[in-house]
Amino acid sequence: MATVQEIKRRVGSVKNTRKITKAMELVAAAKLRRAEARIAALRPYADRMRELMIGTARATPARGFPLLESRDEVRAVAILPLTGDRGLAGGFNAQVIRRALSLEHDARGEGQDVRWLVAGKKGRSTLRFRRYEIADAWVDFTDRPAYSDASAIANAVAELFMSREVDRVVMVYNQYVSPLTQRVTVEDVLPIPRTALEDDEERSSYEIALEGDFIYEPEPEIILGRLLPTYLETSIYRALLESAASEHGARMTAMRNATKNAGELIDRLTLEMNRARQAEITQEILEVVAGADALTQ
Amino acid sequence: MADGEARTFSLSVVTPEGAAYEGEAERLVVPGASGEIGVLARHAPLVAMLKAGEIRIRSGGEWQSFAAGPGYFKVQRDRAIVLVDDAVRAEEIDVEQARREVEEARALLERAESGEEGVDRWQAEQRLRHAENKIAVSGR
Repeated sequence: MATVQEIKRRVGSVKNTRKITKAMELVAAAKLRRAEARIAALRPYADRMRELMIGTARATPARGFPLLESRDEVRAVAILPLTGDRGLAGGFNAQVIRRALSLEHDARGEGQDVRWLVAGKKGRSTLRFRRYEIADAWVDFTDRPAYSDASAIANAVAELFMSREVDRVVMVYNQYVSPLTQRVTVEDVLPIPRTALEDDEERSSYEIALEGDFIYEPEPEIILGRLLPTYLETSIYRALLESAASEHGARMTAMRNATKNAGELIDRLTLEMNRARQAEITQEILEVVAGADALTQ
Repeated sequence: MADGEARTFSLSVVTPEGAAYEGEAERLVVPGASGEIGVLARHAPLVAMLKAGEIRIRSGGEWQSFAAGPGYFKVQRDRAIVLVDDAVRAEEIDVEQARREVEEARALLERAESGEEGVDRWQAEQRLRHAENKIAVSGR
């Protein structure tokens, strides 16, 4: 049985760990609130941009745009998992990588080539460890992604797609549902799905006519040609923000559990320590009594 | 036309980080791709592409100025929307900071040109353009 001293030392060490996990939980909670606010701040921009794109697509035939080109034969796929730069966030990084690897397996099964793109240090190190070749990686911002980070990624994937090095780009990320729930989501980024150019709800031609005829400056096809990459940037930016919020949520939950477990461990060790101390005292009394008995005989 | 009685229209300047301006305006000047576009109330329905530059808004008889990234502009009846990837109020521009940003972006660009791994050339160019635009707008 462990001595009182040993147990005392362990209790001290667990208490220190609990302080750290508690602090990490609070930091993650604060960052989560900010990340949620940024998702909300993006919504008006994203909605109006999409409206503008749908309206512009109505004014011009959506043909001949490279980012919309759906290729009959898919020879190569780019897979883009969005992970975090740091661990200690429960299953946050692992579940994205797992899904990405299963996509890779499926694609190879269909005889397609796979190019790896990755955001976040955790994903990059896991893929490197497994000896995958990484075409491009973006790190050091997943905590607080900026729009320019999304533009950089969008620019790179668009180049890969237009140069025909890949025929399809899929993004895998943790969709933010609530602080406690993240849903691993696979999203087709390129070619841009046709549904992105269509109204979510049916609108009558009367309603459309009511909007009036717009003058386009320059021509609608030029504007649409520029809106499509902007849409791509916005989609990636939204996914980066959702992934960041998910990461903070997952870390908060993981750290809360760790703090709770540490508390339980401390209670158990304290009980064990008291028992050990009691046993020591009993032992000492027995020794004293036995010694006294020996003297009286 | 007397300024006090000018007709107004509703205006939103929206960026991915949130709204930079939301409210009524009497006049608006945006940097269109092929020249400045001036807007008053009752403007004809228009969709335009914007280049990086200065956005000026006249509201309550006062001009306000923003350094803005490239984007789009839509006006319809008395409702105007500016969608840009970045917009900073001219008074809030820290010229010293912007100069430092220019230096940093140039250094980043050089590293990208020397082929260093993990440095995105395109992103460096964008940063440089943004920072230079901020200096240009604040200098007016």
